[in-house]
Amino acid sequence: MFFGSRREEEVIRLVKEHLNTVLQACERFKVGIENDDAESLKKVCELEKIGDALRRDIASKLYEGAFIPAVRVNLYRFSEVVDEILDTLEDCAIEYMNLPVKLDEDVKSYCITIAEVNLKMSMDLILAFESLEKKADLKDATLKIRTREEIIDKVKHDLCRFLMQKDVEGFWVGKIVSDFIVSLGSVSDLIEDAGDIIQILNVSMR
Amino acid sequence: MLILIPLISCILIAFSIGSNDTSNAFGISVGAGIITFRKAVYLLGVLVFIGAVLQGRNVMRTVGKELVALNIEILSLSLFVSAFVIIIANWKKLPVSSHQAIIGSLVGSGFAFGSVVRVDTLLKIVESWIVSPISALLLAVVVYKLMEIVFRRLPVFKVESILRMLLILNGIIIAYNTGANELATALGPIVCYGILTPLQAAIIGTTMLWLGAFLLSERVVETVGKGITSLDAFSGFAAQFAAGISVLIFTTLGMPVSTTYCIIGGIIGVGMLKGVGTIKSSLLRRIMISWVVTPLLTFGTCCAIAKIVLSPYV
Repeated sequence: MFFGSRREEEVIRLVKEHLNTVLQACERFKVGIENDDAESLKKVCELEKIGDALRRDIASKLYEGAFIPAVRVNLYRFSEVVDEILDTLEDCAIEYMNLPVKLDEDVKSYCITIAEVNLKMSMDLILAFESLEKKADLKDATLKIRTREEIIDKVKHDLCRFLMQKDVEGFWVGKIVSDFIVSLGSVSDLIEDAGDIIQILNVSMR
Repeated sequence: MLILIPLISCILIAFSIGSNDTSNAFGISVGAGIITFRKAVYLLGVLVFIGAVLQGRNVMRTVGKELVALNIEILSLSLFVSAFVIIIANWKKLPVSSHQAIIGSLVGSGFAFGSVVRVDTLLKIVESWIVSPISALLLAVVVYKLMEIVFRRLPVFKVESILRMLLILNGIIIAYNTGANELATALGPIVCYGILTPLQAAIIGTTMLWLGAFLLSERVVETVGKGITSLDAFSGFAAQFAAGISVLIFTTLGMPVSTTYCIIGGIIGVGMLKGVGTIKSSLLRRIMISWVVTPLLTFGTCCAIAKIVLSPYV
């Protein structure tokens, strides 16, 4: 077997599974903070571990020689960024569970909005990868990702302005809430980065 | 006893071609991980043999029969000097074409020993050395443009899988050319002089070339392959494919041309499409100098040895 097409198909299957894991993690996280559901938040941590295993599998298949180097490098970077999305979602879930105080309802509503948009972005990311695979209109999917990221940026800034007017119970309470919001806000940045790599992959063979 | 000198020289040249030119055929494919080094070397051996048997005679006739009227002194001196220059150049990592070394030596020896040197054949060969890289350059431009048009319509993973198959196809063409042209150039004089039959020469030549590839080419293959592919597999393919087709055409015409120079022609073609700035002018200058110096050096060396060292004994 000279061409090793099975190896390439296996990598694409693993990448799709990785993206589905992100989608599930976003869903669980949203449900977790909407309903203060610890089980859903714990599930996010489990999904992060599954994501780690998938990234390792992708890396090992690429190392075995799947794809030519021009594609291999970008696919590996893509799987690393997707894994970072899961890492960040896990951080969000743990920080939310560790919050020393219950979140203010207004603050929570901002966070749920961000989690909802993150979920939509993870769907867009799957669509973008499918478009790359089938030569459909990739621009549409990546444009949606960028637009949603801008929405999240706006919500994040509104949330920060809102938080500045609030009293803080103490340094550590403030820090943990702040860490949680920073983590939550960076998920969309990472999804946007992954979308950019899909575009690079698209032009890498041109 | 005298026939041992050209025979051993030929064996050394074939070994040297194997150790250095395997990278031309499968460097990119091995570097890209499409094929393992071991599989590439076995495939090379088979294709070189097929090339030498099926089409090697065209080039053998030009080099061994139509260029210089051979005698054992010319044969021994020219192949000994060629082998010496090729081995030293490989050892010192100088870009020397085995074709140019052999043709220069044959003409130099023939001239020094007062044999008939057919100028029309020599001019045709020199002309093919000029035309073959230019044809590879033009072909590379066409191939690159065509690939751009066709691949633009396909999904990226499909393009990648087609490219992987095309890189192997490229390797097959160039490995075939190595037998039909490069090895045939080295074997032509001893076959036409009657030391070996074409089949015997193909078997011995392929075996030595294969040994050279198996024992010494792994590092060269990996360096060339990874070096080129990490830059751009797309351009690398266009340049190599154009060179492969160009050498194949000249092989059919019986002209001994260098695959390496054709690949360089192809790379310049692709470089011109991407902007002249991408072509390394210093490297190009070095290759041009070698292009002129190699045949002149082997010509001069053979003349000098024949006139100064051997003339009292011949």
